[in-house]
Amino acid sequence: MTSDDIFARVKRQLVDALSVDEGDVTQTARLQADLNAESIDFLDIVFRLEREFGIKIDRNELFPESIFQGDPDFVQDGKVTPKGLATLREKMPYSDISGFEKNPSFEHIGDLFTVDLICQYVAAKVAAK
Amino acid sequence: MLLKDQVALVTGGSRGIGKGIVLALAEAGARVGFVYRGNQAAADVLVAEVSAAGGVAKAYQGDVADLATAPRVVGELMAAWGRVDVLVNNAGVIRDGLFLRMDADAWKTVLSTNLDGTYAFCKAVIEQMVFKQRSGRIVNISSVAARFHNQGQCNYAASKGAVESFTRGLAVEVAKRGVTVNAVAPGFIETDMTEAVRGKAGELIKKAIPAGRLGTPDDIAAAVLFLCSPAAAYITGQVLTVDGGLSLGAAVA
Repeated sequence: MTSDDIFARVKRQLVDALSVDEGDVTQTARLQADLNAESIDFLDIVFRLEREFGIKIDRNELFPESIFQGDPDFVQDGKVTPKGLATLREKMPYSDISGFEKNPSFEHIGDLFTVDLICQYVAAKVAAK
Repeated sequence: MLLKDQVALVTGGSRGIGKGIVLALAEAGARVGFVYRGNQAAADVLVAEVSAAGGVAKAYQGDVADLATAPRVVGELMAAWGRVDVLVNNAGVIRDGLFLRMDADAWKTVLSTNLDGTYAFCKAVIEQMVFKQRSGRIVNISSVAARFHNQGQCNYAASKGAVESFTRGLAVEVAKRGVTVNAVAPGFIETDMTEAVRGKAGELIKKAIPAGRLGTPDDIAAAVLFLCSPAAAYITGQVLTVDGGLSLGAAVA
């Protein structure tokens, strides 16, 4: 399966799950800020990806819940600490956090959940099947 | 046929209000699974009654207070009919008594059947309704006792008040995906559950009901059927009181 195939199939699922236009679902689109995803939508997306690609997505694997839980080791003065960034890299190995690292403001952590993250994750899961 | 090709599940279905609901949903064209706790004879009679009327019903034995019951029953229902369009959480018990004398068992029994049972059945159907079907109707049977209090029903009132709050909370979470969650709050209905009180104070109660009569299971079933019908698609998180005006608190003239 090529990355274009994966993107096309992910896009179709996101259009259905989020009731958005196909044109809105770009590789860089952020699920919350650009596609208005709410928390239940994340569960719906996981459910749809499992069905579409025949993969099993463990809880917290694609969309980790409650990252850091307000732990001061990870977040200080609204910024994610170096220790927090290291944890983030570990918890979200499919996400490119280099952009976020430049300005690791905690309130923008949701921006890491992008269409590309989903595609990268699915590609890895499909390859491992 | 309002509910043609639909599948419904009713807890506490073999007697009283639940039986009325099973009959109404089946008459509207739904295939109806219902859960009964102990009275197999009553359950068998109801299944026969539904099929004699040209409908389809299945009985599942189980105690809703046991959290393992809901996933088992829903699993069996799904295996048989492949979907679940309507869930009516009707199973309920009372253990009346003044709070000063209410033991932990009377408290837990009422809360675990009325509230935990509702939780467990909603939990067991919700993924199917929200993600797979993107449609569904949940109706929780509450009681006017959730808001208008009688002595000796702290436990029952607490359980039904919680069911109403839960109804609103769940409604908010699933509304976008075509699932509505409402409650029906019956007043004083002629069933086995109210038999003892009716014997003691039936006439007095009747006087307090502006409609001048006790309610019947059919009165409640009609409200449930409405909330499950296409006409109620835009109604969610509401409590529909069906009590002949009892809760209006009119003075007895």
